[in-house]
Parts: sequence; structure tokens; C-alpha cells
Amino acid sequence: MSTVVIEQNAYAAQFAAMRGRLPGTHLPWLERLRQKGMDDFLALGFPTTKLENWKYTNVAPIRRIAFELALDRPLTGTLEIGSSAGPRLVCVNGWFSPTLSSMDSGLNFHLLNMGQALQDPERAGVIEKHLGRYTSTSDHAFAAWNTTLFTDGAYIEIPRGIAVEQPIQLTFISADHGKPRACYPRNLIVAGEGSQVTVVESFLGFDESPYLTNTVTEIVARPGAVVDYYKIECESPEGFHVAVINAHLDRDASLTSHSMSFGGGLVRNDLNVALDGEGSHCTLNGLFAVDGRRLVDNHTRIDHMRPHASSRELYKGVLDGNAAGVFNGAIVVHENAQKTDAVQYSKNLLLSREAQINTKPQLEIRNNDVRCFHGATIGQMDADAIFYLKSRGIDELEASRILVRGFGGEIIDGIRVPALREQLERLLDGWVGSVAEPRA
Amino acid sequence: MLRIRNLSASIDGKPILRRIDLDVRAGEVHAIMGPNGSGKSTFAQVLAGRDIYKVAADELTFNGRDLLQMPPEIRAREGIFLAFQYPIEIPGVSNLYFLRAAVNAVRAHRGLPELDAVDFMSYARQQAKALSIDDAMLKRSLNEGFSGGEKKRNEILQMTLLEPRLAILDESDSGLDIDALKIVADGINAMRSPDRGIIAVTHYQRLLNYVVPDQVHVLAGGRIVRSGGKELAMELEEKGYGWLEQEAVTS
Repeated sequence: MSTVVIEQNAYAAQFAAMRGRLPGTHLPWLERLRQKGMDDFLALGFPTTKLENWKYTNVAPIRRIAFELALDRPLTGTLEIGSSAGPRLVCVNGWFSPTLSSMDSGLNFHLLNMGQALQDPERAGVIEKHLGRYTSTSDHAFAAWNTTLFTDGAYIEIPRGIAVEQPIQLTFISADHGKPRACYPRNLIVAGEGSQVTVVESFLGFDESPYLTNTVTEIVARPGAVVDYYKIECESPEGFHVAVINAHLDRDASLTSHSMSFGGGLVRNDLNVALDGEGSHCTLNGLFAVDGRRLVDNHTRIDHMRPHASSRELYKGVLDGNAAGVFNGAIVVHENAQKTDAVQYSKNLLLSREAQINTKPQLEIRNNDVRCFHGATIGQMDADAIFYLKSRGIDELEASRILVRGFGGEIIDGIRVPALREQLERLLDGWVGSVAEPRA
Repeated sequence: MLRIRNLSASIDGKPILRRIDLDVRAGEVHAIMGPNGSGKSTFAQVLAGRDIYKVAADELTFNGRDLLQMPPEIRAREGIFLAFQYPIEIPGVSNLYFLRAAVNAVRAHRGLPELDAVDFMSYARQQAKALSIDDAMLKRSLNEGFSGGEKKRNEILQMTLLEPRLAILDESDSGLDIDALKIVADGINAMRSPDRGIIAVTHYQRLLNYVVPDQVHVLAGGRIVRSGGKELAMELEEKGYGWLEQEAVTS
């Protein structure tokens, strides 16, 4: 027990040493928020597998490493970070990189790095209203930890009625650490009434030594806003990735989320959506491909808090080697949420006998007038289908690719950004190639 | 072209095919007929290389090469094609994408350049038209939600595109109405050529009215119990399989 305290104290010491250099130090409310995050983090300690929400995900490997705060480093060499035009905000090691970013000044919405946004009294006012409001620090140690130490990130504010045509790319790169470091991006997306926006968050890692990305994104969708949110996680195999995404939807607002996990040694995503307006809707889609001894854990929670809200959820996992996957999908229908319409599916494809998936729906319904459906499937590669493809001259690797692509297609085909769809097809194909080689 | 001597096959220790001898020469059409459970489909699958069967033979060669040493994808590239009785549905993979992957795999093996998506599309469309397969069907997921007839026509399309040397048709006629049967039969007849062999596995004589075989073999109890010309098919139509099954049991 005492070692745990020492480990967390290391972060308290970092906070004490760094707090003057973190963004927004001039804002008392933010100082209080960060301090509360620290207090909560120290009180909570790292989650253990005794906690229901962490039953299958042991974070001891993260606890055992004293991660130093990652430093702002200029990237050497060139970087291929997607081809699409449009606004892009890049953070390297959690710090805003003006040279890699391209944010035109003539935009009819606000796209700023958090540090800059906090300097602007008007933006800081909006941030104060929302930051940390949808993310409780008292029940999630990593969220508390991020709240204390977040270094930078994206601030997106779409004014009322504005439809942003091009997707906004947020890219988080972890590189050149040399020793264990942690990055703490923090993003806030505020979509004004009747606005529309697409945001693509990508996480890339190039490190061969352990590092941690501890990220939090908060999404606010005002009445009638339409938010298309993508999260693409491609950390390096040495990377730990813990992400908390909290979305709050007003009346008739709609959120579509695609969460794609392709990399990282240990990945945990917590996606929480509060349908806090009549007629609000969320679609939560997820795809993860995991191999080796890696682990990907997706926890989602949808709170149906008002009448006539609907949710659609489909998470698909492909697992190979000794990999482990977790899907835990909570749907909570509150007392006054009549006419709730919720459908949840978890579908999984196991490519090896050793791979493991734990999938669990968690329905809590406090209202009679609802339609809730959930289903989960776990299957293996279909031998008949493999033979069918082979009998047409297609070799084993390509046959596996085709079947995995078909499996993932249900998610990938739903991606509304063409360049992103192609990128994900390549990622999935590449993944199948990388796991199939050792077998050949 | 295809030479089979003393072929037997079993699954989970249960024998299905016994002591089969067969020669198919280039240009010939052979019909394999027989009642349900006689081993017809197993025979077709074994030729295509299905690995769930334990197969033994004194000889199983295709153009002089040992098929027992060849995995299914190599057999396909060497020119063996099996039209499945029950084509597999593969959701999320477009028919067109699959067809192109198959054609290019076979082309690469034959030293031909790959067809790009555009070239392939026009080639496939042209062939598909003759089989009453429209663009929508080419773009849908492979066999997913296809009707029985659509699946069979799609198999014939694959055969047409892959230009095999030996085509094995496993009940490509079953479940078809007369219009669809004619389309399928036309597709098969279009494939007849002096350098190609065809094995048509069928339960009914009906297909053979349109695709006239050179030889007919009757499979019963896993054995070829009788071989003859096309008139044997007529005889079976008249008398059924009972009298031959009886022979199979007593022999």
C-alpha cells in the first residue's frame, strides 16, 4: 500500500514543480480544478482489478512506472499524418506544435490550442463553463490525473448555426522520449445550437520505450447540434493509452462516435454519453484489432436522461495471439426517460484459441416505457468461407484479409470521411498482414 | 486432363467415397449423377482440395501433376474451378472486389498482369450481362442476401471470369426455375471447348437436356456403380436411382 502512495506522490511532486508552467495558471478556477484533480487522484489511487469497472484490465504496469511529464520536443524528420486538407491541430507529447499545425485565421469557428484559448478571456469564460463539468474526477483516477496535469490540447467552439464542412483533425504524437514519459492532452469541443462539426482525433506513437497517453475529451452538443467524432488510436506497442471521452447532448442533438483502436500495449477507452435532451441521439461505433499480449478495453456508458432519446451502439473486435479484449456497455435509462430506444451489439472475431474477449452489456432500466435491445457474438474465422476463397485462387493471407475486412467493413463503411475510410481500410489490412506473417 | 485411380475419402473415420476411377479428357463433359448422400458433393469438394476429408488415391493427377500435393488455391490457379452447391455468404466484402481478387490471383499465377479496378469492372460487367447479373448485384456483399438463383448465376460468372481448364459444377441446376436454368446452362455451354473439361454433378436429368454430356456416371454409396453415355441419364430419369442403389448394396 505504501508504494502506491509513493508512486502517486511522484505525480504530486511533478504537479508542484510544473504547475507554474501548465496552461491557465492565471485562472483561479482552473487552479482549483487541477488541485481537486490531484486530491482526488491521491485519494482514489490507481484502480485495481477488484473494482468492477477494471476487473479485466490490470493497470499495474502503468502504476509500476514513474512517468515523467513529457516535454515539448520539436519533431525531427517528416511525418505522414494523413492527407486530408482542412484545419489541423497537432500536439507533440501533449504540447501544441504550431509548426505542424495548420489553422487558418479566417475560420468561422474557434479552433485553438487550449493554452491559447485560456489566454483569451472570452474563450476562457466558455471553457470555465464546460471544462471538467462532464468529467468527474472523484470516480476515475486517470481522469483526475489528466485534470491535474493536462499540458495542452484542442479547444473547438462552433458558433450557433455554423456547419463546418471540412473535418477538423486533431493529431497527438508521442515521440522521442528516451525514458518513460506521460502525455496529457485535454480537448474541449463545444458545438453551438444547430451547428455541425466533424472532429478526428488521432493518436500516434513512435516510441520503443514505455510511455503513457492519458487523454480526456469533453464534447458538448447544444440543442440540435450534430457532432461526428472519430478517435483513431495507433500508439506504438510500448504505449499505454487511457482515454476518457465525455459527451453531453442537449435536446435533439446528435453524436456519432467511431472509436478505432489499432495500437498500444494496453488501451482503455471510457466513452460516456449523457443524452440529456429530449430527442437526442447517439451512435457509438467501435472497432479494435489486437494481437500479441496486448489488451484493448472499451467501456461505454449511455445515460438516457430524457424522453424520446435513442442510441445505437456497435463495437467489433478482432483478436489474435494471446490478446485480450473487453467490451462493457452500460445503458442507463433514467426514471423520466420514456420512449427510450436503445440498441447495443458487441461482435467479436477470434483468430486464435488463446485470444480472449470479455463482453458484457450492463442495462439499468428505471422506466417501463422503453425499447432496449442488446446482443453479443463471439466467433471464429469461418473455415467454409476460407475454403471458398481459396478455391478461387486466393491465398490464405489474402483470404484472412478479405474476411477481416468484411468483418470490419460494417464499421469502416459507416465512416463519412472518405480519406479516413481508406486510411482505416489500410490500417486493418496492414494489421492482418502483420499478424498473419508469423503463422505463414 | 484429370486422372483418378482408386480414390477414397472419409470424414471422421466415416468412409464417403470408395475406389473411384475416372478419366476426364480435355473437351469432354462428364455428368456425375446420384441420389442424395451418395457422395457427389464430397467428390466435387475433394477435387477442389477441401481439407476436412481424409483422402487417399493410387493416383489423383491433373495434367500429370499430383493434386494431393496441391492446396486448394494452387489447384484453382492451375485451372480447377468448383461451382459450389451452397455458395458462402461473406458480408462486408463486395462481389466485385472478391471477383477481382480471384481473377488477379489466377492471372498472376499465369504470368498475366493484374487488371485494375476500371478494366476489371468493364470486363466483369460484360460477362455478367450474359448471366442477367446487374451492377447492383456486382456491388452487393458477396452472396449476402442473394436468392438461390442469384447465387448459382454468380458461381457461373466466377467460372466465366476465371476461365478454368476443368470446371466442376456441384448441383448448379438445383433450385432453379426454367428461365434461370437456361441461363446457367447457356453459361456452361459457352465454356465448352476442346481444351476444357467439365464435370457436372447433378441430382436431376433436367440440366442434361441443355448441357449434353459425353459420359454419365452414377454415384451410389460412394462408388461409381455405372458409367455410360447420355442415354444413361434418360434411363435414370425413367427408373430413378433405386435399382442402382440396390446394386451398390449387393455388389
